[in-house]
Amino acid sequence: MMTEPILSARNIKKYFNVSGGTLKAVDGISFDIYQGETLGLVGESGCGKTTAGRTIIRLYEPTEGELYFEGEDIYKLSRHNMKPIRRNIQMIFQDPYASLNPRMTVEEIIAEPLDIHGIYKSDKQKRERVFELLELVGLNEEHALRFPHEFSGGQRQRIGVARSLALNPKFIVCDEPISALDVSIQAQVVNLLKNLQTQMGLTYLFIAHDLSMVRYISDRVGVMYLGMMMELAKSEELYDNPIHPYTQALLSAIPIPDPEVQRSRKRIILEGDVPSPIDPPPGCRFADRCFYAIDECRKTTPEFEEVRPNHFVACHRSGEIIEGTATMTK
Amino acid sequence: MENILEVKNLQVSFKTFFGEVEAVRDISFTVGKKETVAIVGESGCGKSVTASSIMQLLPMPPAFYKGGEILFKGEDIVKKTDKEMQDIRGSKISMVFQDPMTSLNPTMKVGKQIVEGLIKHQKLTSKEAHKKAIEMLKLVSVPQPEKRVNQYPHEFSGGMRQRVMIALAMVANPELLIADEPTTALDVTVQAQILDLMKELQDKLNMSIILITHDLGVVADMSDKVIVMYAGQIVEQGNVNDIFKNPKHPYTIKLLESVPRLDMKRDESLSYIEGTPPDLYIPPKGCAFFDRCDYAMKVCKDYMPDPEYHSSEHYSRCWLNHPLANDIRHERSV
Repeated sequence: MMTEPILSARNIKKYFNVSGGTLKAVDGISFDIYQGETLGLVGESGCGKTTAGRTIIRLYEPTEGELYFEGEDIYKLSRHNMKPIRRNIQMIFQDPYASLNPRMTVEEIIAEPLDIHGIYKSDKQKRERVFELLELVGLNEEHALRFPHEFSGGQRQRIGVARSLALNPKFIVCDEPISALDVSIQAQVVNLLKNLQTQMGLTYLFIAHDLSMVRYISDRVGVMYLGMMMELAKSEELYDNPIHPYTQALLSAIPIPDPEVQRSRKRIILEGDVPSPIDPPPGCRFADRCFYAIDECRKTTPEFEEVRPNHFVACHRSGEIIEGTATMTK
Repeated sequence: MENILEVKNLQVSFKTFFGEVEAVRDISFTVGKKETVAIVGESGCGKSVTASSIMQLLPMPPAFYKGGEILFKGEDIVKKTDKEMQDIRGSKISMVFQDPMTSLNPTMKVGKQIVEGLIKHQKLTSKEAHKKAIEMLKLVSVPQPEKRVNQYPHEFSGGMRQRVMIALAMVANPELLIADEPTTALDVTVQAQILDLMKELQDKLNMSIILITHDLGVVADMSDKVIVMYAGQIVEQGNVNDIFKNPKHPYTIKLLESVPRLDMKRDESLSYIEGTPPDLYIPPKGCAFFDRCDYAMKVCKDYMPDPEYHSSEHYSRCWLNHPLANDIRHERSV
């Protein structure tokens, strides 16, 4: 595991023209995802994590950047040439209520990708494949002829997973696959995703805002803030030794389900809100809320550098923070 | 501790085309002065219905109080008329809703929405009320309150809107605040800000809080007492340490185990609860958790156990804890 990157993103940007300027939803992010691993992507609402996920698989046309999937820059391909690649790249959506067509039966939903790519000539084979997929995600044949409204949230998300697996993909973008589900059901879906990964050698990009779940499922985790990647490291490393002040604040804000631990913790409470991504000022995007910010931070955007082996951070003061010599400015 | 709210044997049902849905089935609990009581459980367990029935906010019909009493400082809310309720809502009991995006009026300036409450409950002139509205925004740490008071909800971020909601709930110094998933729609950093704000206001105004949430981290942070609901009933109740350190009902145990902990190894698999809660059209005769319980016994199917007290405040309703049950230890992986 972790030898060849299956996917390499280089300086990906996605801007939207809105009234009042350019909304820089994703502003130059680069990372690799290795065969068989799960890369978690976290950040608060509006940080661009969903846009990043969608731009990577070209659901949105990128503004700039290169994306190598198995060595090939897929942004250079025509729509027609993209189609065979799409078989290998699938997506699981956030809302299991909105992402399944209420007028289609489960069988039709799961078979749709098979039809589009013309995988099976005979209906019998196709039906067998649908049954196989249902079994794989813990449902059964009986469910095939039912409609989405007959299922609970967790079961619907299983149908979404079955659909994404129909074409035997190599890489799946999971965009907040569990945030619409109850706690006890979340665990079911996460366990399912993990088991399928081991069984089928899948690679995931797991986008979520639930940081404890991301830590649990991901090999490495990237933290985004206002369209930029702030920190990227192995998940244990990131959660144990966060370097970027934003990551530190984010982690300290997760409430821990243990009254003694939670009440004795020292939390970093950030002031204010995430600023607007429309024509953001130069410099570090986090500078206004950062408790370590110096003048330099407001002038130049820090480079996203490897400050420790496999630990990338975009912060001017990362060196001082690691050594523990950084002084707070707030 | 003096109790300001006593819920006694409350039953709330909904009449629907298909029959009666028994959403809240005979629950009793108390809320003390300045106490924070958390109600937890999965969607559909009746926690929000309980909260809304304390405020008489359920649409009636289809909902109706089937039995029981809700005593707020000794007076039964169930028996109050609409008119009497208007004097209680907002001034004595207030509510903060889950979704700050949809619970503010989008066509009214934020200040005006606060002023409305002030004029109604505190009999202020509109000028005084406007001044007070700015103070209220300041109280909940909205920056530049003088400017913000004249803006519309869409000009506020989610966290700021939730602050406005809290300001609205606070206008008349309520004695009891019901917060129904107050931070569920918010990001963790904003959630931390809002929870701190609620604690701070609770200290300042000596208010009691009923907190409804499914986030066990938030419960651990905020509450004194925890009520665990399942299928319209209370299955376990105790103080926060009882519930987190010494849970007795298999449902509580499972619920706690299905949350990933930050110190968890990545190869450990998360425990989860198989299946879904029962339909409350025809609630089960025995324990409602029977179908999903690892320890289910014959007796569980037909009879719901009475509360078994583990200490004066901590009880659970499970046959396993009955003195005559075999000594089965359900070990928690702490």
